[in-house]
Amino acid sequence: MVKKTVAKVLSFRYKILALILVLLAGGLVVLPKYQKQKGIKSEQLLSNAISPERYISTDQLADKIINQDPSFILIDVRDEDSYNNYSLPNALNIPLQNLLDQDFEGYLNQNQFDVIFYSNDNFYADQAWVLCDRLGYKNLRVLNGGINKWFTTIINPTEPTETMSTEEYKLYSTRKAASMFFGVMYPDQMTAEDSNLNVPVPKKVITVKKKKKRAAEGGC
Amino acid sequence: MKELEKVKRISIASTLFILAVIIGVLTFERPKNMYAINTKDTLEKLVDNDYLMAFNEINKPDIVLIDVRSQYEYEKGHLVDAINMPSPEILSEENQSIFIELKDSKKTVVIYGKTPEEANIPFLMLYQLGFDNVKLLSVDISYLQNKLVANTVNIEKPIADIKAFIDESIKNSNSSSTVIKKVQPAPKKIITVKKKKKKPVEGGC
Repeated sequence: MVKKTVAKVLSFRYKILALILVLLAGGLVVLPKYQKQKGIKSEQLLSNAISPERYISTDQLADKIINQDPSFILIDVRDEDSYNNYSLPNALNIPLQNLLDQDFEGYLNQNQFDVIFYSNDNFYADQAWVLCDRLGYKNLRVLNGGINKWFTTIINPTEPTETMSTEEYKLYSTRKAASMFFGVMYPDQMTAEDSNLNVPVPKKVITVKKKKKRAAEGGC
Repeated sequence: MKELEKVKRISIASTLFILAVIIGVLTFERPKNMYAINTKDTLEKLVDNDYLMAFNEINKPDIVLIDVRSQYEYEKGHLVDAINMPSPEILSEENQSIFIELKDSKKTVVIYGKTPEEANIPFLMLYQLGFDNVKLLSVDISYLQNKLVANTVNIEKPIADIKAFIDESIKNSNSSSTVIKKVQPAPKKIITVKKKKKKPVEGGC
């Protein structure tokens, strides 16, 4: 009896197999849509974003600009008005809302240059960084503290007080020199030069001094 | 007889095929932490700027605060009822299940850190993973005599007009130098000397 039913079922086996195959084929239609994930994975993005390596300090940047380092491009992600008012030398303006426009992809997605984002602080620059990093762009950096820190450290460095270490004084003098490079003038600088000039005038020794100075400068 | 053998082979092959498919389906694992939103849509939302939340809005009932600072700082002091979730760990399974739960119960998740910049990265990550109930609290956390103080800050506010500052400095230095010239106007030769001195400086550079 059992044998008989088994035989009966077995006689249908090709039909059953065919039915399963058809069902599987039908299942393909029901499969959830495959979302294509462009760029890097979220875990990777998070670990990249947390790493402090992606920041560049204002001092480092000032050094690069003054030494005419050709290996980087500056991207200003603020709006056009602030860019036109003040911007770092040779910076390119890409307002945040236009960041992913086709026109700018060539600047951001390349291997030749370091891309340094900056904004007033590093808030918008970070956002730009995250979006570009997610797309897998290489060599992206963010100016730590942005233009505000640029102002407080490079353009208008605070004078160290007497209790501070010599390193502070050295840092201050380099920053002050850098600020002069970026167009800031110091009244005390000018008066110091003037007073130096004024003192030796009546003696007419100046010409000798001049020659001495010239030689030294030529050596440079 | 020959035909029977052929049929047998076909049936074996199809059974194996079905088995392979079934095994494939059973062992399939969805990749974790998939992005739900592409970069363009994320950017649109960021431009809208409505993800920011002011400090005086956090007393509403549907709000859950998330502290993304380190555990040490969290224990030192935190806002009332905040959950600690250091930013490197926001993608862990445990924390993700918390976020999914909060999203399902229609609560607004408000992230804060030491500065809005610190909370920015976790916020962006979560938003891109599809948690559109996430907001960013624009406060600075600092301590005053061991008491936690939360100050509202304006994000990306320029602290100074640099162009004006530079112009001003140039103007100041010019005016001060003219003052000196006026003080000693008599020896005009000095001025020529000064010019000569200045020239080699420029050439040397």
